[in-house]
Amino acid sequence: MKTSIKIGDKIYQIEIAETSNGLKVLVNNKEYFFTKNELGELSSVEGFKSSLKETEIISGARIEKEIKSPLAGVISAVMVKKGEEIKPGQKVVTLISMKMENEIISEGYGKIKEVKVKENQFVNSGDILIVLE
Amino acid sequence: MVMVIKRYKTLQSTNLKAKELAKRGAEPWTVVVAEEQKAGYGRKGTSWSSPKGGLYFSIILPKSNIEDLQTLTILAAFICAKTIKENFNLEPFIKLPNDVWIGGKKVCGILTENVIGKDVKLSVMGIGLNTNIEKFPEDLENIATSLKIELGKEVDNKKILEQIIAGLKEQLKTISE
Repeated sequence: MKTSIKIGDKIYQIEIAETSNGLKVLVNNKEYFFTKNELGELSSVEGFKSSLKETEIISGARIEKEIKSPLAGVISAVMVKKGEEIKPGQKVVTLISMKMENEIISEGYGKIKEVKVKENQFVNSGDILIVLE
Repeated sequence: MVMVIKRYKTLQSTNLKAKELAKRGAEPWTVVVAEEQKAGYGRKGTSWSSPKGGLYFSIILPKSNIEDLQTLTILAAFICAKTIKENFNLEPFIKLPNDVWIGGKKVCGILTENVIGKDVKLSVMGIGLNTNIEKFPEDLENIATSLKIELGKEVDNKKILEQIIAGLKEQLKTISE
């Protein structure tokens, strides 16, 4: 589907195409990808411009620059490393908290700039685990 | 009581199967039961001996906040102990937060696993209860026991399963409202 959208004074040429696992959105010849994660939610490529959200083409698109710990606990395993490309639903670390094992997953696409934690490290809720480029 | 129970002869792990089913959209309170597990595991991947005769099951939990899941994990040990105590003349002991012992030996273990992104995506709770296990291998003999060993007779796995699930449902209702 091709269309153009005016936001402020700027006109954006938009092309939306379905891919095998989601959507490809071409905005002024720049590609953005969206994939349904395993739970059926649409996740965006990191870097997606927030102004595009206003067009409501795709709801639920988010910009992620880091992955934070959702709870306090001890990191039991780190599954990713610097430079690695990650995708929605991908397990990045496991965290043991109150004797529950928690897989922390990425919600979007991204490239890992820095892994801030290592095995057996204690983290608090809200601590940054992974920094994305 | 209405509940979906998926029964398997053999699984690597009921938790793994439950997670797989949950990712494919299985309903909360779907229960996965295996007669034996080839690779049953506890925390940090420690193995959980799962020969035929025992009760090995995992429950897909409804989406809950993480605090409720923590509470439910602790309550699960209590529910398992209560089920043992009320059905049989035994004195189980809860080793917080997730084991049940009888006479200094482990009889039941609980492992809750969550998948978390921005919020809790899915949760499964696995329970391994040594019910009708006649004998443990030598390396476990002194640290594990079963209801059959303690009672000298077989118990009804199905009935125990239903009582535990009913107890969990009731408790989750209480803590999440």
